Amino acid sequence: MTVVASTPPPRLPVRDRQAALREARGVVSPMLTRLADERATGVLHREHGTLHLVDGRVVHAESPLAPSLGTLLTAHGGLDATAWRDAEDTADEAHLLRHGVTPGVLELTQVSALYDAAYFALAPSSTPGRFRYGGAHWLAAVHPVPVDDLERETLRRRALLRHIWPDPAIDGAPLVRADPVAAPAVPSRQAAVLARVDGVRKAVDIARELGRPAFHTLVHLRRLAAAGLVCVRTPPHQDHPSDGAGDPYVALLKRVRDALEAL
Amino acid sequence: MANTETALKECLASIEGATGVALVDYTSGMALGTLGGSKTFDLNVAAAGNTDVIRAKMRTMEHLGLKGGIEDILITLNDQYHLIRLLTGRGGNGLFMYLVLDAKRANLAMARHQLKKIEEELEV
Repeated sequence: MTVVASTPPPRLPVRDRQAALREARGVVSPMLTRLADERATGVLHREHGTLHLVDGRVVHAESPLAPSLGTLLTAHGGLDATAWRDAEDTADEAHLLRHGVTPGVLELTQVSALYDAAYFALAPSSTPGRFRYGGAHWLAAVHPVPVDDLERETLRRRALLRHIWPDPAIDGAPLVRADPVAAPAVPSRQAAVLARVDGVRKAVDIARELGRPAFHTLVHLRRLAAAGLVCVRTPPHQDHPSDGAGDPYVALLKRVRDALEAL
Repeated sequence: MANTETALKECLASIEGATGVALVDYTSGMALGTLGGSKTFDLNVAAAGNTDVIRAKMRTMEHLGLKGGIEDILITLNDQYHLIRLLTGRGGNGLFMYLVLDAKRANLAMARHQLKKIEEELEV
C-alpha cells in the first residue's frame, strides 16, 4: 500500500499589526530609514521637498507643494508676516514667542506643517535624494517626530486619499467647478475651498490662500471631486469633438468609469 | 506651559477613570499624540474613526441650519465613556481631544470640566 503524503495546507493569512508595521518600514524612503538608524543630523533633499533631521528624528519639513509654517502661523497663529521673516532670518524661536505666538500654538502648528510638507516630500520621486550632514534646524526643539511614525502616517494619508477618490489628477492640476444635476450640500470648510476653485488655482494655491495645510485641502478637494463638484480642467480635445461633454449623465458615467478603472 | 505630551499626561493623571487619550486632527484623521489605550484598544484607529463621527454631526447641523459650534460629543458604552472635545483656539483649528473613560470610576461632569481646562492650557 502506498502512502500518499499530502502537502499540508498553506497557513491562513493572519493580520498581524506588528508585522505589518515592520514591513512598512523603509517602504516610503529606504534612505530616510537608514538615516534614522544611524541617528544622522542634517538635511535630506528630495524631489518634492526637504526634511531636516536631528539625531535621526525629523524636526522640520518643507515642500513647494505645501504652505510653510510661516503661512500657517500668519493665517491663524496671530503672527504678522514681518515678525515671521525676522524670526526666520535670525533663526530665533524666542522671537516668535515674543510676537504673540504661544508655545502651544507653535507646537501644534509646527507638527501639522511638518507632517503636511513631509507627505509631499516623501512622494515617489524620479530623482534620488541627497543628504547633507550639518547642523540642526532652528525649530528643532519644537516637536521632533520619529521616522517610523512619519512613514506610517504618510502611508495612511495616501490610503485615505485613495479611499475618498482614487484619481490623483486633481492634486496637482488647475481645477474647475463642475455643475452636477443635483448638487449635494457642502459643509462650510469644504465650501471655502470650493469657492476658490476657478480654473486657474491648483490645490496648493487654495491651501496657501486659506492658510490651511495642503493635505487637508486635498482631502476636501477629493471629497468635492467624489461629489461631482470639482474636476480637472482639461485642455480641449480635438480628437473627440463631441462625446457628450455637455450632458450631465454622460459626465457622471465617465466619472464612474474612471473611478472603476482606478480601483 | 503645556505641550502636547504634558497635556495628554495631565489628562490621564488628573481625570478620574481615564484610560486613554488622544489629540487628533479631524480633517486628516491623524493623531498628533496618544497616551494610554491597550493592545486591544488602538487609539490611532479610534482617532481616525471618530473623525467620521464629527464630520457626520457637522454635516447634520449644516443641513439643519444650526449655527452653534460643537463643544463636545459624548458616547456612552456599557462600561466606557468616550468624550470628544473640539478645540476652538487659534492653533487648535480642526483638532479634537478624544478621551476614553472607565464608566465605573469616572465622574462625567468632572471629566468634562477638566478636559475643558486642559484644552485651554494646550494653547498657552
